[in-house]
Amino acid sequence: MIGNDVVDLQQALLDSNWMRRGFINKLFTAPEQQYIQLANRSADMVWLLWSMKEAAYKIYNKHSGVRTFAPLKLSCAITGLSATTCQGQVRVEEECYFTATTIYPGDYIHSIAAGSATALPQVRVQVLPNLPKIDYKAMQPACVSHHGRYLALIF
Amino acid sequence: MDNEELISRLKPIVAVYAQDKVALESMNPETDFIKDLKINSANLVDVVLDVEEAFDIEIDNQSMEKMLTVQASIDIIQHKIGLK
Repeated sequence: MIGNDVVDLQQALLDSNWMRRGFINKLFTAPEQQYIQLANRSADMVWLLWSMKEAAYKIYNKHSGVRTFAPLKLSCAITGLSATTCQGQVRVEEECYFTATTIYPGDYIHSIAAGSATALPQVRVQVLPNLPKIDYKAMQPACVSHHGRYLALIF
Repeated sequence: MDNEELISRLKPIVAVYAQDKVALESMNPETDFIKDLKINSANLVDVVLDVEEAFDIEIDNQSMEKMLTVQASIDIIQHKIGLK
C-alpha cells in the first residue's frame, strides 16, 4: 500500500499561520519541533513533516479503517535531507512507514509513503494542475492528494 | 448550553475554514468537517484552537483525535465546559 500528500506552499501561506500559539504543540512531537527549530527554512520543515504524516496516515487509515485526527501519534524521523529531497520514517503504533519527499522551495512539497523502503523507488508520481476538468479517477491512481494549485497522483 | 446554541457558536468558527459553503449552510450534528465541509486537514488544528479560545477550554490530544464532526465537537465542548 502507498500514500501521498502534496502541500502547495503558497496556499499554505494563505491558509495557515503555523506560528500561532498552540499550532506546533498540537501537531508535532518534541523531536519534530527540534527539526523545525533547527531548519534553515522553518516553514518548509513544518510542511515537510506535515506531508510525511499525511502520506503515512493515508496508508494507516486504509489499512486499519481507523479515522482520527491524531497528528502526535504519527511520529516522524528524518534519515536523509537535502535542499530538495528528504527521506524518512513515520511510526504509528506498531507500524512503520517509509517516506520520500521532494521539495520545490516556494512552490510545493510532495511526500510519498510505503510500507517498505524498497517499495518507494517503484512509485510513479504525477503532479498536475488542480483543475476540476481532469478526470483523474480514470487514470486509476493508487492515491490522490490535492491542495491549492496542485493535484498529485501516485501509481 | 444546548446543542442548537453550540452549533450556532461553532458555525462562524468553522465557516472560516469550510470550503463547501453549501454544506456549511445546512450544518448539523452529523456534518463531517473534512468530508462535508471540505476543511483542509491542516486547518483542523485551527478549528480546535479557535474552539479553545472561544469557549475558554483546553482540548487535550485524546479529545482532539475525535474532533472530526460537529457532534463530536459538541460532546467535547459540553464535557469540557462541565469540568470548569
